[in-house]
Order: sequence, then C-alpha cells, then structure tokens
Amino acid sequence: MATINAIISVSSDISDYGLSVNNTMTMNKAGTTDGLEKTTGLHRRSFLSTNQVDLLTAGSGRADEVTASKAAKLYIKNLGTSTTEFFTIGFGNSSGSGTHTATNGDATAFELGRLYGGDWMIIPWLAVSTTGDITIAPSVSTEMDVEYMAFHE
Amino acid sequence: MATTTAALTITSTDLVGDALSLSTTTTLSKAGNTAGLDQTTGMNVAYLTSTAAIDLFPALVEGSLAFTGKSSWVYICNKSEDETEYALVTIGGINIGRLYAGDYLWMPWSMKESANADNHHGDIEIAPSVATGMWFDWICINEGTEHHAVDLAIS
Repeated sequence: MATINAIISVSSDISDYGLSVNNTMTMNKAGTTDGLEKTTGLHRRSFLSTNQVDLLTAGSGRADEVTASKAAKLYIKNLGTSTTEFFTIGFGNSSGSGTHTATNGDATAFELGRLYGGDWMIIPWLAVSTTGDITIAPSVSTEMDVEYMAFHE
Repeated sequence: MATTTAALTITSTDLVGDALSLSTTTTLSKAGNTAGLDQTTGMNVAYLTSTAAIDLFPALVEGSLAFTGKSSWVYICNKSEDETEYALVTIGGINIGRLYAGDYLWMPWSMKESANADNHHGDIEIAPSVATGMWFDWICINEGTEHHAVDLAIS
C-alpha cells in the first residue's frame, strides 16, 4: 500500500472577493482507506498528425490493469507552450485513425475538453470497457508533446 | 483581465523505488490567446440527499454559440469523510469516474453537445452513491458565459 498525495491550488483575482481553492487528495482504492499502489509510470508521447487516437485504452496496453471496478486517477499535461495549439481530450472508443469528430455520445469519443500549452488536468478514471478509453487529438500536425500518468489499484 | 493560476503537486515516497514528486502550474487563458479567463459560476457548496444525478451547471447553456471553442475549467470535490461514499461523474451521459471521499477533479470542459437523439448535452452531472447526505464543492471558471432565457425549457 502506497501513499500518494495530490495537492491542488487555484488562485485568481477574477472576483473582487477573491478566489482560492486549496485541497489535498490522498489516492485510495475504491471504498477503502488503502492507498493506490500501482502506476503506469510517467509517459511522454509526441504526435505528428491530427488523428484521434487512444492515449490509454481501458484494460489494455499500459492500462491493462485499469478496469471499471477499480479506482484510478489520471494526470495529463500538454507540454507545449503555444496558446493556439491544443490537445482535445475525450472519452470513448477511438478507431486509432481519422480526425477527431464532434459527433459525440456514440462509438466515437465524447469531447471532454481542450488542453492548450501548459494546461494540465487530473480526473478519476472509470475505465469502462469499450467506451472508457482516453482519447486524444492534436490540433496541428506539427509536433506536439503530452505527458500522462495513471495511478490505480 | 483576470489572472487565474492552477498548480498541482503529486508526491509519494513509497509508490515507486524512489520518491515521486511532480509539480506543474498553468495560467488559465481564453481559447487561443493569452487573455485570462474572466468569468466564473463561483464556488458552489451543496448537500445532496438523493442518489439522482444532477446537472452541476444548469445556468450555463452548453453547446451554445457563446461557448463554441471557448475555454472552461471545472473543479469538483466530494467532501464526504466516509470512504465508501462516492459520486459518479458523467459528461454527456458518458462515465468519467468516481470521486470517493476527499477526491477532487480538475479538468477542461468543452461543453460539446451529443449528436445522438438521447438529449445527452455536454452536461456535467454527479450522482451520489447514497441518499443519506453528501457534501460537495464545485466551480466553473470560464469565458463567454451565456445564461438561459427566462422560462427556457431544457432537457
């Protein structure tokens, strides 16, 4: 059993009243206080096309031990610095080729959001077979880099 | 123009052979430029007493022209202290994951609509696992807010 802490800090002057979010999450196995003890490791991947592909496939490849019955957390970051180039992150089932489509809720990926240069995200991952893959699509065909890491039980 | 920064530090001394420490910071900008995000729903604090899924941001018109290609960021936290209690987070009817006690998420949100005929808009919904009462926090920081018209029927 490992202890993994994720500390988030969001601060802003968006409001005259201030905005501050500070929280620490200890990553535990589903329904217990036992810590997550496995990881895919930190990966860095380069892309040279705008094809939509699976970044992580539920229950397969680097995420072969991640399934819907287990707790998992996923960190992804766009390593670029461009304010115009972005990764589209989605949930679903990518064919591994083809351009990302905005057609959502079916066999293609549902667009979750966009990571511009330097943006990062951390989410729980319910790795449902077939529809729970993490998909990614770069906005340009010049090199774009992403890093990602899953923590799981 | 507002400046909003989001930082994350992940640490573990016993997950892998050596100590793990990962730190990153980003400044939230409007889509495609360096101007900062300037609108927010504010922090919501809610006590949910049903296992029915709820729409976290009903005041935002998902998929509207105002949001097309815009930047939005979402924070959700399950404040429960019971490790068995969780909330299932979905977007557009697709499961994202479960937030167990003390868990949070931080993610971009495109507010895309579904092309299916199932009325699965790009809503972010949470469904508590128990009806005995669970506390949650959530906030959206975004650009280009469009609000519902009076008495607009939504699905």
